[in-house]
Amino acid sequence: MSQLSAGICRRLNEAPQEEIDQLASGHTVQLLSIKKVAPTTTSTTATDRFRIIISDGVHFVQAMLATQLNDLVANGDINKNTVVIIDKLACNFVQDKRLIIILDLHVVSRNEEKIGTPTAPPSTQDAPAPAVLEATSSSVTSPATSSSTGQAKPIQPQPRTGPSGRGGRSVYPIEGLSPYQNNWTIKARVTQKSDIRTWSNQRGEGKLFNVTLMDESGEIRGTGFNAVVDELYEKFEEGKVYYISKARVNLAKKKFSNLQNDYELSLEKNTEVEECLETTSVPMMKYNFVELSSLEKLERDNTCDVIGVIKEVGPLGEITSKATNRTIPKRDLTIVDMSQYSVRLTLWGKQAEQFAADDLPVVAFKGVKVGDFGGRTLSMVSSSIMTISPDIEEAHLLRGWYDGIGTEKNFQSHTSGSSGASFGGFNRNEMRHLSDVKESQLGMSDKAEFFSTRATIMHIKSENISYPACPTQGCNKKVVDLGSGWKCEKCDKTFERPEYRYIMSMAVADWSGQAWLQGFNEAGLAVFGKTADEVHEIKERNEAEYNALMAQASGVTFNFSCRAKQDTYNDQTRVRYGISRITSLDYHEEAKHFVNLLKSPWAQ
Amino acid sequence: MNEHISMRVNSARLSGIKGRTVRLPCKVLRMTLPSFEASDGGQVEIQRKNVDMTATYVEVIGNVVDASTIKAMATLPLDSEGELDMQLVNDVIELTFESRFDKLFPRYKDT
Repeated sequence: MSQLSAGICRRLNEAPQEEIDQLASGHTVQLLSIKKVAPTTTSTTATDRFRIIISDGVHFVQAMLATQLNDLVANGDINKNTVVIIDKLACNFVQDKRLIIILDLHVVSRNEEKIGTPTAPPSTQDAPAPAVLEATSSSVTSPATSSSTGQAKPIQPQPRTGPSGRGGRSVYPIEGLSPYQNNWTIKARVTQKSDIRTWSNQRGEGKLFNVTLMDESGEIRGTGFNAVVDELYEKFEEGKVYYISKARVNLAKKKFSNLQNDYELSLEKNTEVEECLETTSVPMMKYNFVELSSLEKLERDNTCDVIGVIKEVGPLGEITSKATNRTIPKRDLTIVDMSQYSVRLTLWGKQAEQFAADDLPVVAFKGVKVGDFGGRTLSMVSSSIMTISPDIEEAHLLRGWYDGIGTEKNFQSHTSGSSGASFGGFNRNEMRHLSDVKESQLGMSDKAEFFSTRATIMHIKSENISYPACPTQGCNKKVVDLGSGWKCEKCDKTFERPEYRYIMSMAVADWSGQAWLQGFNEAGLAVFGKTADEVHEIKERNEAEYNALMAQASGVTFNFSCRAKQDTYNDQTRVRYGISRITSLDYHEEAKHFVNLLKSPWAQ
Repeated sequence: MNEHISMRVNSARLSGIKGRTVRLPCKVLRMTLPSFEASDGGQVEIQRKNVDMTATYVEVIGNVVDASTIKAMATLPLDSEGELDMQLVNDVIELTFESRFDKLFPRYKDT
């Protein structure tokens, strides 16, 4: 029977970190059991891990086998009751528990009987009871992966900590956080705290809140759910600095955050948050400002930081969200900066309601979303931060510039709407001919698509050329003839006489084909040169004159900007082409365009 | 058909085609001494007897006498609502003479 190094287990169980390193090698122990551990979800490797119980004949302790030794188990070199000599071991301290990892060993003898009657060593809180296993098993794989590379990396200099005494704890930079190390503390400022949000979907419901934490090295987002909300929501205050530890580091869900960090923190029940009173070393907001003139380079849906002078504050308006059917307050601001560009920025919700800066301040915005409605626009999202009159250099520069020369300047606006595609403007360069429009099935998908074309009116359906409409400005709803007047359902008003508005179907053709276009009042005015009221009157009065008018309108060529969209009418789905804009031909313009085209490389 | 070719020209192009019939879009500068400005700015003398010339912009159809004189056979008024863009007209005239359009426009035969 082999001689075990009695007392080693107890030493392993009790010794502080420094001693463990010295205990590393040369001790004989017996492996009482070897069990495979199921890999937890946090483990990235698919290798097996083995948990072993080592005994010195007097006591036994739990340990993990380093993965490089897995083969020994697979080969059957080591199994139950094998006596081995430990060549190298490491001890990791994870969340106040110690974890012994056998890095190297060699077998002395097998098939021995169990030596002695080892019991659990008399230790303090680290009793090797199953509870220890469960608690450490989830963290076993992560630090074990780092130690399986052959290094015994102690996580923290002080393995056992009380609830206080945090002053001496070394602080991690946020950039250094990773899921593989769990014993960290960060000192960070809360730059943004979201509202408590509740959700309910098929899987259930709950509430959550987010914070954005920032220190010199970077930023990270923290999220707390349900019970944690009650505990921690009040504790966090925007602008204050806290020591945070024992939160879980997860991979960031980029969908919900636009921060740069790959990771994010899950605030849990055991997360410790302590306010830090010496805030000197934590920086204020960090910005990466973009000049307004270069906003065009940013893609839609990107986030950016901008700083500018508020030139115009729009009124508080409301918009109904189609998704939730709720009205959301919004307010548009126009900001300008030294690049002499202006852009529209939208505030939502409480921010829109509470915005009360009347005196054209300098405002810095962090994390605003870029949109492309009519050029470029900016919009606040939940994680955006607006700081009025910040005490930073760029703000002072802007203030000086604006007060000096800015007020007189005319700014180039990003709302020029020059993007022809989304605005329905006539885009000569992208003109299509009618057979092309039909063949490429524009408007066949559910989305509306736009195109421009030049065609000649062949025929106008003269039966239904106009309809009686509500004369109220902006309301074009059809009014009903009650006999005593014409009533508008939307405005709930009755009128003596309605205002007729055009609604036309016309067949247009070009060299390639023919199509039916639907036009409204604007189109009718362009085609006939008369108001719908006048035409309606002619129709009633003198049919011959009316027909002559129709004929006169045929054969005229126009430039059309059209919108193609699918329509379902009595089970029939058809693409309809609506006219968004109609313009008469300016031969001069067109001729110049053609000359340029002929001179261009395309025509060579 | 080939005999009745009349290309639109400007003053510069007159030089190579003596004796041919051409069309010259031009602006009437003065009524007394018939002096007309072609689309490239060059001045051309128009000899005509009973030809009507009341518009500001006209197209003169006539025979080339020499590099700066045309004997008019007929004129067409070219007025549009605004000014006629002579630059544009000139561009088009030059384009018609480009070799890539040989098939589109008639060319004077050298006989």
